[in-house]
Amino acid sequence: MFIASRDLKFAKGRFLLMGSVVALVAFLVITLSGLSAGLVKANISALMALPATHIAFEGTDHPGYRNTMIERYMWEGWAEQDGVKAMEPLGHTVFNARTEDDKPLELALWGLVDDSFIAPPLNRGDNYGGEVENGVIISRGMLEEGVDIGDLILLDRVLTELRVVGVTDEHRAIGHLPIVYAPLRKWQEATYGPPGGAPPGEKLPDIIFDFVSIIVLQLEEGVDTAALDDELETTTLDRLNFYSASIGYESEVQSVQMIQSLLFVISAVVIGAFFSIWTIQRTKEIGLIKALGASNTYVLKDALGQALTVIVVGTLIGLLGTLWFNEQVKDTELPFMLESKTIITSIVMLLVAGFFGAAMSIRRVSKVDPIIALGRDQ
Amino acid sequence: MSLKVENVSLVFGDGNEQVKALDNVSMDLQPGQLMAVLGPSGAGKSSLLAVCGGLLTPSNGKISVGEMEITSVSQSALTRIRQQQIGFVFQQSNLLSSVTAIDQLLLLVHMRGKRPDQADRERAAKLLGEVGMEHRLNRRPNELSGGERQRVGIARAFMMNPKLLLVDEPTSMLDHHRGKQIVELLVRECHEHNVATLMVTHDHGILDAADRVVDIRDGKFSERTQ
Repeated sequence: MFIASRDLKFAKGRFLLMGSVVALVAFLVITLSGLSAGLVKANISALMALPATHIAFEGTDHPGYRNTMIERYMWEGWAEQDGVKAMEPLGHTVFNARTEDDKPLELALWGLVDDSFIAPPLNRGDNYGGEVENGVIISRGMLEEGVDIGDLILLDRVLTELRVVGVTDEHRAIGHLPIVYAPLRKWQEATYGPPGGAPPGEKLPDIIFDFVSIIVLQLEEGVDTAALDDELETTTLDRLNFYSASIGYESEVQSVQMIQSLLFVISAVVIGAFFSIWTIQRTKEIGLIKALGASNTYVLKDALGQALTVIVVGTLIGLLGTLWFNEQVKDTELPFMLESKTIITSIVMLLVAGFFGAAMSIRRVSKVDPIIALGRDQ
Repeated sequence: MSLKVENVSLVFGDGNEQVKALDNVSMDLQPGQLMAVLGPSGAGKSSLLAVCGGLLTPSNGKISVGEMEITSVSQSALTRIRQQQIGFVFQQSNLLSSVTAIDQLLLLVHMRGKRPDQADRERAAKLLGEVGMEHRLNRRPNELSGGERQRVGIARAFMMNPKLLLVDEPTSMLDHHRGKQIVELLVRECHEHNVATLMVTHDHGILDAADRVVDIRDGKFSERTQ
């Protein structure tokens, strides 16, 4: 990089400008990756926290959490299978609700069996089933909506009253809706029972307690889920795929990934355009260097080294900017999650895209004819 | 023998469009000898320099620099020959805009795959001192006058101890006084370093300094007797 390093010093303004563009693109790419990871977490954090290998839905080609109904024989059937380490029926219903002071809420009510292995750890309060009637545990993020222990939540339409007794250790959500954990029977009453509960003097029909939404499974490796699905009329998805069954998850991830891909393409084009113009401006000097005895390899190494310096320095500055941004938003509601894997992937992709763009432009230096040093056209 | 040109022709185009830039030219040049090639524009002067420097391949004939016949070697070998055996002095000096005077010389060392050391720095400084540029070692081209740039170009040409020096219109961008100084400098350096020098020019005023003078017209040579 004998000439390249001197060019960088000599044409500081131009390279500073280009480095700033690379830094901004890096900031955008890494920030967007952080937002993407944050959005993913906000969408499926409750699913991510499940200690499950698989989830079984009602048998269908398009399983989803809102359109699945599991009957008792299904979960009891799964419980009897070899290779099932743990199994539990789970109820999932989305409700509009109100607080005592009439503040509207939207939440996902999850019904869990007693002593559930998927019950979330608590940040504070108690588990339901104590002295408080209709006790539920709210996801930690609901504290920011003004809901806290002791508060009453009234589910719209079914008019079921729930009393908050505990708060989860971390925010748990599905489809961006906070989870409210309730005993399975309470969930079944709210989901399948009449508004307001059983009429005075009557009890709810037993049949409503034979239905849940999904079966949470811990399976040993090698269990033939397809065969069991045929037998039990379920559709079982592994971890990666049961995330995708959450509404909006795939489209959100795809949208963000598309924007990221576009940013990588833009960075390659912008960096390529800069080095293209820079190479054209240097054509005469490149011809001169070659006339003096520089090989193509020498000239290419010098120019690529220069491009790599600009891209690496710009990317590192962009990374520092993103780390600063992360510090500013980490205690806010913005769905932003910066992980080392996110950072490394974004940086590597950006370096590859930028270097590809630069290399495409710079390769023309190998075609410069040294004859131009004598004032002739190529 | 530092340069031997045997029956060299250089033809551009074909059919009716054919132009003979060099027409069956032969010559040789001894170490320490400076030959001026004089001719009008389009006479074939630059073509002669280009084929002797391995920048163009002649249509016919042979050219040898030192013991090496350069008309029958690969492009990469030609690059090495230019790097190790041929020095160029161009019109307008042709210096790299971002590189200081001393680094213009050290670049040639770096191009040979060696990190310039103190000895290289001393040699570069000495060569620049020989051309009167010892006080301008760390100046970039935009901080030098036209004559100073040409001096740096001359010092650069001698950096790698070439067998052959090819000089292209060294005075074309200079006034008569400065042009004369540059040619005297070239002659002195060429004799001092014992380097065969082929200088093309259209400036009649500098011919006295040359050891031999050749006229070129329509690609053909005719040597003057001094």
